[in-house]
Amino acid sequence: MLNLNPEFYTVWNYRRNILINGIFPACSPAEKHETLSNDLSMTTAALKAHPKVYWIWNHRRWCLENLPDGGEGDDPQAWRRSSWERELFIVDKMFDRDPRNFHVWNYRRYVLSNMPVPRTAASELAFTTKMIESKLSNFSAWHHRTKVFSSLRTSSELDIHHYLPNEFEIVHNALYTEPNDQGVWLYHRWLMGTGEDRQLLEREIGVIQELLCEEPSNKWCMESLVRYKQMLLQNHSSTLGNSEAQNLVRQCLDLLRKLEELDPARRQRYQDLAAEVKT
Amino acid sequence: MAPTTLLIDKHVRYIQDLGKHTDSLAYHLTAHLRINAVYWGLVALCVMGHPDALDHDDTLAYVMSCWDDDAGAFGAHPGHDAHIHATLSAIQILAIHDALDRVDVPRVTAYILALQQPSGVFAGDAFGETDTRFLYIAVNALALLGQLDRLDKDKTVGYIRQCANFDGGFGSVAGAESHAAQVFVCTAALAILDRLDVVDVPSLGWWLAERQMASGGLNGRPEKLEDVCYSFWVLSSMSILNKMTWIDADKLIEFILSAQDPEGGGISDRPENMVDVFHTQFGVAGLSLLGYPGLQDLDPVYCMPASVIDRMGLRKGWKALPRRPL
Ligand SMILES: [Zn+2]
Repeated sequence: MLNLNPEFYTVWNYRRNILINGIFPACSPAEKHETLSNDLSMTTAALKAHPKVYWIWNHRRWCLENLPDGGEGDDPQAWRRSSWERELFIVDKMFDRDPRNFHVWNYRRYVLSNMPVPRTAASELAFTTKMIESKLSNFSAWHHRTKVFSSLRTSSELDIHHYLPNEFEIVHNALYTEPNDQGVWLYHRWLMGTGEDRQLLEREIGVIQELLCEEPSNKWCMESLVRYKQMLLQNHSSTLGNSEAQNLVRQCLDLLRKLEELDPARRQRYQDLAAEVKT
Repeated sequence: MAPTTLLIDKHVRYIQDLGKHTDSLAYHLTAHLRINAVYWGLVALCVMGHPDALDHDDTLAYVMSCWDDDAGAFGAHPGHDAHIHATLSAIQILAIHDALDRVDVPRVTAYILALQQPSGVFAGDAFGETDTRFLYIAVNALALLGQLDRLDKDKTVGYIRQCANFDGGFGSVAGAESHAAQVFVCTAALAILDRLDVVDVPSLGWWLAERQMASGGLNGRPEKLEDVCYSFWVLSSMSILNKMTWIDADKLIEFILSAQDPEGGGISDRPENMVDVFHTQFGVAGLSLLGYPGLQDLDPVYCMPASVIDRMGLRKGWKALPRRPL
């Protein structure tokens, strides 16, 4: 039954109950380790066949979390360390099939935050770089990158400002290669933050305007220009001249009018944004 | 040729026949979803104006046979362990039939509250994973039972905040990528808890509007395929945020209608695929929110017939497109 239908959650619960209440109390740590290792290898095949079934992931978590102390040599973490390392390896292999499977991504973040010897943030950044280089159009990898940077920001392991110039270079290359990929534009938005830095806003507006010259009907360029120009108006009105501000408003309204023609499905949104710009 | 109108009679018969093939393998393989399937079928029938197409007494007897007396909640099918999702489906079916007096409210409430984790998220069952879906299910079920006061709301909202991403969307757990189904559960939970102030409406509204593809169908994340079920996950969120006008309703209606099976009834995830009751319900629900003529209103917050939620006095502020004339 476990093989036939991996979503049959009652059976999984039953198995765990038997292990906890019937089998483990009478087991040596080595036997417990062996049973759990067997369950892990047994479900590896099921995982490959059904990568979107929660209960398999769930059962593996339970196995990993219940691994006993011990192992070869005198490192009490040896079993745990090798099992969690192998888990990360298996998870990474699953991306070969589907690099967007969010169960795999979530599970990977779970493994990272629970493994006995944590990976460095720098090696995680290298991992996402590799994923993005193999396929730019993978928002899951871009998203993960924002989370790695956020953890860097709070852990002070690395200085984000040291990374920023490089991040803009990566994202500019991606925008020029895949100018219609929403994920890359989303990442650019994330890098821009709340638009406190006037110079940065103006520099990026320049970059996007250049791209728009090469891709005159690219809606993402226009959308982003409206957003960043609006940020200039909202955050830097005191340092903008009157005519400069009026110019920006006019440019935003022009862009929004073009967007209405180019992307009629979302016409009402552009009209609502235009009404906002006018006030 | 793809159908251009909603084939209500076919869908009603398709849903009525679902339980009849109890000798098929598919029937047994989906046992873990059985009570959910009854709920999906019943809501679709209510929205299509055929609330009595499933026998009232049979339905209630089936729901009560899923009761797991050891756990104090409902399982997906008789003999299955209790699960929070099955429990919500049971409560929803009973609420539609105005039969909530059959629920052991103190025990079910205790079962649900015990699944809340220190972080504020909920587990699906005693062994289960945690997920914002289960958080929404808990909030929805407690609201229908009139027990929302028992919930630690700040803790619950605190977890939803942890799942918010810079793009305005929400993920299944803290750190996860935004996904339309998760956007729905978090937005709807916040609506029930009167905490929509947590939502970054301009960013999320944009993210939701960009889910519409050239085919008219909606996808669940950037660069993914369109699928009929996202018509509900995305539209419900948009109606809660009052942004229903930000996509092309006509094209989406056309897409949902084209995913119908014109012979056997039912709706599939996309044209030419196999139909199932899940996509049938979410297709019909999407059409209702889009103002499709002749349908009953669906409450997107609870995913229930609006008349039931109104009768219970639980309606929140949401706005669907006006119902089109027949
Ligand atoms: Zn679907």
